Amino acid sequence: MSVTGNIAAAPVQASEEMLRVRQRALLRHRIQRGFVYLLALALCLWVLAPIWFIASMALTTPATVRTFPKGVLPFIPFSFDTMQFFLTSQGIIPGLINSVVVALITLALSTVIAAPAGYAISRFLFPGRDFYRLSILAVRAFPVVILAIPLAVVFINVGIYDSVYSLALMHTALTLPTTILVIGSVFASIPYELEEAAQVYGCTPLQAFRSVVLPLVAPGIAASAIFTFVMSWNEVFAASILTVRNRTLPAQVLATLNQSSEPYQFAGAFFMMIPALIFIFLIRRYLFNMWGQISK
Amino acid sequence: MKKRLNLTPYWLILPSVIYLALFFAWPMVQALTLSIWDGDARLQLRAEATLRSPVSDWLPRGAPIEVVERRGNTVDPDDLGQSNLRTEVWFYIRGESADGRTVEGWAPEARVRVRETDAAGAPTLGTIRPRIGGSDPLTTVYAEPSVVSDVVGRIESNAVVAIERQTILELWYLVRGERDGAAIEGWAPSRYVQVFGDNVRGRIDRGDAGELTLRYLRSMINDRFFWPALWTTLLLMAIIIPVQFVLAIIMALIIQQQLRGNTFFLYVFAIALGVSELAVGIVWYAIFTQNGYLNSILVSLGWLAAPIPYLTADTRHWIIVAIWLAEIWRATALVMVIVVAGLQAISHEILEAADLFGANLWKRVRYVILPMLKPSLQVALILRTILALQVFAVVIALSGGDVVTVLANEAYRQYYTLRNVNVAAAYAALILLLSMFSAAVYLRMVRSHEEMQE
Repeated sequence: MSVTGNIAAAPVQASEEMLRVRQRALLRHRIQRGFVYLLALALCLWVLAPIWFIASMALTTPATVRTFPKGVLPFIPFSFDTMQFFLTSQGIIPGLINSVVVALITLALSTVIAAPAGYAISRFLFPGRDFYRLSILAVRAFPVVILAIPLAVVFINVGIYDSVYSLALMHTALTLPTTILVIGSVFASIPYELEEAAQVYGCTPLQAFRSVVLPLVAPGIAASAIFTFVMSWNEVFAASILTVRNRTLPAQVLATLNQSSEPYQFAGAFFMMIPALIFIFLIRRYLFNMWGQISK
Repeated sequence: MKKRLNLTPYWLILPSVIYLALFFAWPMVQALTLSIWDGDARLQLRAEATLRSPVSDWLPRGAPIEVVERRGNTVDPDDLGQSNLRTEVWFYIRGESADGRTVEGWAPEARVRVRETDAAGAPTLGTIRPRIGGSDPLTTVYAEPSVVSDVVGRIESNAVVAIERQTILELWYLVRGERDGAAIEGWAPSRYVQVFGDNVRGRIDRGDAGELTLRYLRSMINDRFFWPALWTTLLLMAIIIPVQFVLAIIMALIIQQQLRGNTFFLYVFAIALGVSELAVGIVWYAIFTQNGYLNSILVSLGWLAAPIPYLTADTRHWIIVAIWLAEIWRATALVMVIVVAGLQAISHEILEAADLFGANLWKRVRYVILPMLKPSLQVALILRTILALQVFAVVIALSGGDVVTVLANEAYRQYYTLRNVNVAAAYAALILLLSMFSAAVYLRMVRSHEEMQE
């Protein structure tokens, strides 16, 4: 109020004051920005420091892993000895192969089953669609891995227990709901008019799908497939229940956790993290496609 | 979107429906069944020594019995490996009877000594065994491989007989036992009955029919790890989720600010989304173990004289703290992503308007952003609640699974270490029921949210 009065009385003074106000606002804005940056960096530190620690443990000599106190500066001395020790331990390479096989089968199976379902929920309005979508959402939220226990009983009776294939069946049940929702959202982001236009120009529905829609959704589907791979790669509970001799990598590490040395554990943890770090980087653009869905 | 009603969408979703029915709905029913159904609690007794005969009564597993009579009965060759299964071999023989006729019929293996076999090992020629001290020196030949069938003829001891073929029969016992004070008698196949050395007394080894039982639930609840596991699970839920939400909202607001390097921040905040639970457990073990990073830093800075052992049986609270931090580290990313997706749905005009009217950051968050984020937050909350029931590998990595334990870990222990599938299934059923409760709330929320949008 007093400011407006001043403006009328002394214009020169007022503009100076306004300048000061603006400067102060700018300063406050800058401080605020700086504060936000600081916060962001602190949170980055919170996320990255543990990864930093484990990486520096994994990429050094086993003797360094056992020293105390540990240096925060990593990789001194830099060496692949710990990694090599882990990878040459018993059961690790077969476990690695099993993990990759399980994850690839899971990826293929769940993409093949989910793609038509995702297309259906994004392109058709049909009675029961909402019920279907809600059921998928509910399954997605369920602790599906717990079902490994009754499934183990079934698998033993049927005679397919302790095999990478039956584990892949279980993992597919785990990843399927997410994959359906993600692929659904990917299809939904491509306007149906494009397909229609292609049909107007003489494509059959199948041709329109193959030459117009497929190239557009391919990256999204690839992203969801990658995420499926990561989910299967990380899964440890069902893998530990359903396999005995054909263990996947996490199941193998878990089974030997109590008897293994620290270098082995740390190298194992880092090794299991590597694909996640790479793949999450590759699909970072699609993460919101994936999880935004769930709140709708 | 096509508004035409046709069958195509149903064909498209059919594979996924079948798959989820097979690998989700069915195992779920199976988990509930395994935890309350004792599949071989009762042995059914029959009036005659055949499966076609109606069930007359039953005896519980473990009941002591007496074998009154034995009789052979046809057996499926695939079942021959069953433990306790007693068999009886009968030969179809041809020879001269005591009264000079040629007779053909069945005689038990015990009465025929095999003299010659063919290349495949099947008997072709034998002699009738002599009876020692018996009152009846002749061996009876029957029309069927059963002592209750018609008598075809009788052959003298040491007579040479041709063996045409043989059959393997499962022995059935006429057992006499007691249930609830009442004497019970009936026929049962030998595979279910264990007979002791005197060949008379025995016990029901297992049943062929089930009954409802609370045994597994009771042994789950009476297990010394049950209550600690349940409380720890709930405690972890209660201390993890609030911190996670505050952190996730802060992260999401930072992303919303569109700072320079936004994509970098986004990637870093989302990293944990793809990191394995077990790896996270080990990472935090590396920090909290006695010669780990936390002690290294504290000792290097001179704040501690000697490293503290955090992860021991005497320091449960430190283990809980470690699990708490590890879970916050791991699962905040998920909440963050949901919140960011929710934030993107809020129109910029509203935020700009709030800014214009001079609302500071706190007021904008409190009065504009949080209320509009409510649906996303609710969903994230339920999702996190259910996922918190599954915490497993982090706990094993940090506590070895004994000192601090959670429900999923107990399910694993019962299955893997104790080989107690039914109790493990009871844990699975408990976790599923707890989740179903949350999911019911979740579904109602989602539905009301969708109704709001329409």
